[in-house]
Amino acid sequence: MIGLISYLVFFLSGAMILAIAVLGLNLQWGNTGIFNGGVAAFFGAGAYALIILGGPDRPGELGGFSLSYPLAILGGIIVSGVLALVVGIVTARLRHDYLAIATFGVAIALESLVRNAEYLFGGAKGVRGFQRPLEAAIADPFTYSLMFLGLVIVCLLGVYIGLERLVRSPFGRLLRAIREDETAARALGKSPANVRLQSFVLGAMIMGLAGGLYATFYAFVSPQDIRPILTFQIWAMLIVGGAGNNKGAIIGTLIVWGGWVASGWALAKFAPADWQLYTGTIQYILIGLVIVLTLLARPRGLFPEELTVSTATGPDGPVKPPERGTVSTGGQQS
Amino acid sequence: MNRTGFFALPALAVGTLIMAGSPAAAQDCTTKIGAVLPTSVDWGRPIAETAQYAVDLFNEAGGVKGCKVEMILRDTQVDPKVGVDAAKALVDLEKVPLLLGAVSSGVSMPILTSVTVPSNVMQMSCCSSSTAFTGVAEEGKTKGLWFRTFATTRNQAAVAAMLIRDKGYKNVAILYKNDDWGQDIGKLVAADLEKIGVKVTANVAINDGQPSFRAEVTEVLKTKPEALYLAIYPAEGAAVVREWVSLGGTQKMVVANSLRSDEFRDAVGLKYLGDVVGHDSAPPRTDAATSFVDLYKAKFNSEPNGPGLPNIFDAVMISLLAMEAAPELKGDQIAAQVAKVTDPAGMAVFPNVDGLKAAKAALAEGKSLSYTGGTGAVKFDKNGDVSAPAVGWTFSEGGTSEQTYFTLSDVDGFIASISK
Repeated sequence: MIGLISYLVFFLSGAMILAIAVLGLNLQWGNTGIFNGGVAAFFGAGAYALIILGGPDRPGELGGFSLSYPLAILGGIIVSGVLALVVGIVTARLRHDYLAIATFGVAIALESLVRNAEYLFGGAKGVRGFQRPLEAAIADPFTYSLMFLGLVIVCLLGVYIGLERLVRSPFGRLLRAIREDETAARALGKSPANVRLQSFVLGAMIMGLAGGLYATFYAFVSPQDIRPILTFQIWAMLIVGGAGNNKGAIIGTLIVWGGWVASGWALAKFAPADWQLYTGTIQYILIGLVIVLTLLARPRGLFPEELTVSTATGPDGPVKPPERGTVSTGGQQS
Repeated sequence: MNRTGFFALPALAVGTLIMAGSPAAAQDCTTKIGAVLPTSVDWGRPIAETAQYAVDLFNEAGGVKGCKVEMILRDTQVDPKVGVDAAKALVDLEKVPLLLGAVSSGVSMPILTSVTVPSNVMQMSCCSSSTAFTGVAEEGKTKGLWFRTFATTRNQAAVAAMLIRDKGYKNVAILYKNDDWGQDIGKLVAADLEKIGVKVTANVAINDGQPSFRAEVTEVLKTKPEALYLAIYPAEGAAVVREWVSLGGTQKMVVANSLRSDEFRDAVGLKYLGDVVGHDSAPPRTDAATSFVDLYKAKFNSEPNGPGLPNIFDAVMISLLAMEAAPELKGDQIAAQVAKVTDPAGMAVFPNVDGLKAAKAALAEGKSLSYTGGTGAVKFDKNGDVSAPAVGWTFSEGGTSEQTYFTLSDVDGFIASISK
């Protein structure tokens, strides 16, 4: 029983960290329509920045700053944001698949950089030796993992609540307006280029937070952690959960990541002995199948985007959304 | 069972009384061990197969403490997240006291720091060669739970340099796999060669999965090396060597044990590999009937050619012998017994069924063992690192054949001579 709880705490920590990254992508893609194919880059930037800023000195390599944990994780968020700012400005004129390929290239470039620039990022062997915050003070590993899960959940809730407010604010409406029709938004006097950049940078900073927590979780990061499969996994989670819906993003993460690891567990447990060597391959087929079937059955994800009416603060306090039925959106409201 | 339960129960009790003391009765219990290996990768599957074979042999010899060993195998997909989760599930849900794996250092490292050490589980890897593990162990953060049967890159690089020295090459270009092992060995070989007066004309990284390596090959070709040193894997190795030879590059090559593979030999063609010499850890100098190679041939009907096969075999055998010797099946207690089963002064043990039975009998009498498996009489240092005697080998019709033998003192002497 203790074993099961211990595993669940571990699983949830990992899944919730990924969920934060999925929320970041949801802001970019689900709300603003920015096709970010380089999630791994921003996740990785956060992870590497945290571990280099907060880690011990490594002879011959960049590091030894030993910043306190909150500063280090903040550093990771900022580094991801700056990277996104640069990438966002450079790719400002790209849309859709062109943007996806450009950002994908950024992720590959970053992976190559950390793999090869050993004097900066430790090379292929990765960066280790990070001391998790308060780990020395809490002797019992299980208590510590519970506490870490608490930290992750606090971060996830913070991001979730922040994003929920954001997408329901006028700014959220602006994001969706740009997603649906940039020309129309410009005709209304908005600056899509600026807003897209803001959304891109904010989403990337959220991914940077996820990356920082991920590096804390393992106290280690290597180029293997930021291969393109990570971008694919994060996308699969968002698509299955429902792009444009923050709740869907979190539940999609739980379902996809849960299915990913549970299929491995179940195959190891129940597949016949002769098949054990091939379970890895079978697992890949199953994962692909689940994603395809979800998309066929629920093209908009398990939790499709909800239509929201944004509220603004007027001179007499918050402006109430119109009563149900008075807006002819034709869909449900919340 | 339910239908016959009424009759079976007394029968079972009688049976147990009769059978008491015979090993067959004790085989009813099961001891679980975990393995996290990249079974979805082409070169990972033979490693898993060999691990399972070693477990089967051990079970044939009566299992651990009279219980059948069940190896629960999980795929890592070479993804650290997936590997760590699989390891955590094995440790928490299946309660394994021993974890074999992983292959990539980038997967083994987070498993070690966030799963096995906190949960007091012993971890033994066949193939993770990163020098980072030595660092973790020196800081005391492995709590003695970490071992690997893969000779460290320090040891491998020294043997490579000795082979190049013995061949008399004066200009050598290095091509290495762009991962932790390749970067490490590429750097170390280059440094060793400079020390012994061999010029390194180029040191080029080879990334996995490229459709062509023409750019890398041309870059090296321009430096006109007399010979090549290759520390890459079979698929990329074949592609690189084919392009290299077709562009008129030299066929004089020294290669790492990763290219000791039928896949590589067949893809390039034996006629281009006449001047190739490779290095590997040496199998023990014993008569054929007991060797890992013969056991492997009898089981799989081919030579054990492929990265990590003798290493995983030894990892399984040493771990299971240590489990047999441990008073309780707890990670630290098993780890403490590893020294006892790899004691150079102990009774030599060969990993066939008779050898294992003899080993268990000796352990029961409290004697120590010198396990002599696929990579020779293995001995671990305090960091869980192994150093081993080495061989130089060449490709032959049937696979590979050994050419030269370097004793452990040859290798250590060479390392000492160049570190002056």
